[in-house]
Amino acid sequence: MEIAWSLVLFTALTGCGGWLFAGVAIDEFAKKTSKANFVAAIVALVLLIVGGLCSVTHLEHPENMMAALNHPTSGIFIEAVLVGIAAAFVIVYLVAYNRNEMLRRICAVVGAVVGVALSFMAGHSYLMDAVYTWNTMLLPLAYLGTAAASGFAVYALVAAIRHNETTPADMKIAFILLAVGGVAAALTSLLYLTGVMDVADMVLVAVGAVAVGGVVPLACGVAGLKAANSAAVLAAVAVAGALIGAVCLRCAMWMAYVPLENFFGITL
Amino acid sequence: MRNAIVVDLDRCIGCFGCEISCKMENNVALGEYWNKVIIEGPHGTFPDVEEYWLPTMCQQCENAPCVHVCPTGASYRNEDGVVLIDKSVCIGCKYCMMACPYGVRNWNKEQRVVEKCTLCQHLTSQGKEPACVHNCPGEARFYGDLDDPTSDAARAIAEAPEGDVHYLKNVGNNPSTAYILSSRFGTWRNGD
Repeated sequence: MEIAWSLVLFTALTGCGGWLFAGVAIDEFAKKTSKANFVAAIVALVLLIVGGLCSVTHLEHPENMMAALNHPTSGIFIEAVLVGIAAAFVIVYLVAYNRNEMLRRICAVVGAVVGVALSFMAGHSYLMDAVYTWNTMLLPLAYLGTAAASGFAVYALVAAIRHNETTPADMKIAFILLAVGGVAAALTSLLYLTGVMDVADMVLVAVGAVAVGGVVPLACGVAGLKAANSAAVLAAVAVAGALIGAVCLRCAMWMAYVPLENFFGITL
Repeated sequence: MRNAIVVDLDRCIGCFGCEISCKMENNVALGEYWNKVIIEGPHGTFPDVEEYWLPTMCQQCENAPCVHVCPTGASYRNEDGVVLIDKSVCIGCKYCMMACPYGVRNWNKEQRVVEKCTLCQHLTSQGKEPACVHNCPGEARFYGDLDDPTSDAARAIAEAPEGDVHYLKNVGNNPSTAYILSSRFGTWRNGD
């Protein structure tokens, strides 16, 4: 099957946005890199919007999309709703940023929960009995894990840039989150890829998903705990690695498409 | 009500008439299918070889995955229990094509929507037979309500030995289309 790039980018970007906002929510309570949170929330909003628009580009007749209200339980509808709700909470968070701390925190937590759920549900939509290599809970977990790495990596980058005069202690939580995201991406990608396909057939995307997408952010996170002077560079490398990994994992999913039967010989 | 087609593979002569009549009746474009005959075989070693023809089309699943995943309800089940597509609300996301366990949905390249066998609703709603059934020279295809014991389809199943009635692989979708194949013509290789 051809790689559906629209959907690859949709799930990678919105997942990244959701987990980036989770980084904001965590810092709303940790209060270590607070100067990053407003900008990080804006970046999260942009990622959600751009990702959502990517999704629309794979539709041949988006003008019929309002008909989705007729079937509000489909995976596509749930994803669209989650993108909308997450974006709405980010917007309210931005509006409340300098006005109401309680409202700001509530929006951060709820928006982060919805954003994280979005990253999982984006993979969950592909669970179908007709496709052996997709029909496993390891798939949405891998979507979630790779999104965690990319989202926390972007948060660490924004924090490092906004806190260029910070102490290593201030960046500690951001880099711990980055390392945790790297572990999640590496483990979940490895489990999915080895669980459903012959990795030897697609070494490049497997290495990209596990090593570049997981180990690189993990290494950057660990290194960042010790070398605060290089925080921005390390975070930037982690962002690149995590996004490459997220894309590779999603490409691997499309490349490993094995239907139960394909009597008409259709190439989607 | 479960309207569906039953195919007696013992009587199928592999003429591809059902495939052609479907394309003619429904104006299906070159290279696209609503009904396609698969050649299953040859299997075995000479002189013990066997082969049968498997006409494939929408299986009218009781638990249709295409209906479940369709975000707009374009894939739906009508009041007669037939799974159909309302092209006017299809957004062209192709999720139904991915979810179909058999790959028997067609992408209409010109209209850029999904389509499939309709059991010739324009004919059956007037009491006629689907084109593939009407034009089958071997009288190997039967159409009707499987819940009505007097229908051609239900009678074909009832009259066949129990072990000769087969269905495509079932992954919880419960296909309604039945295939009749006796072991003296071949070994069923396409599912349960």
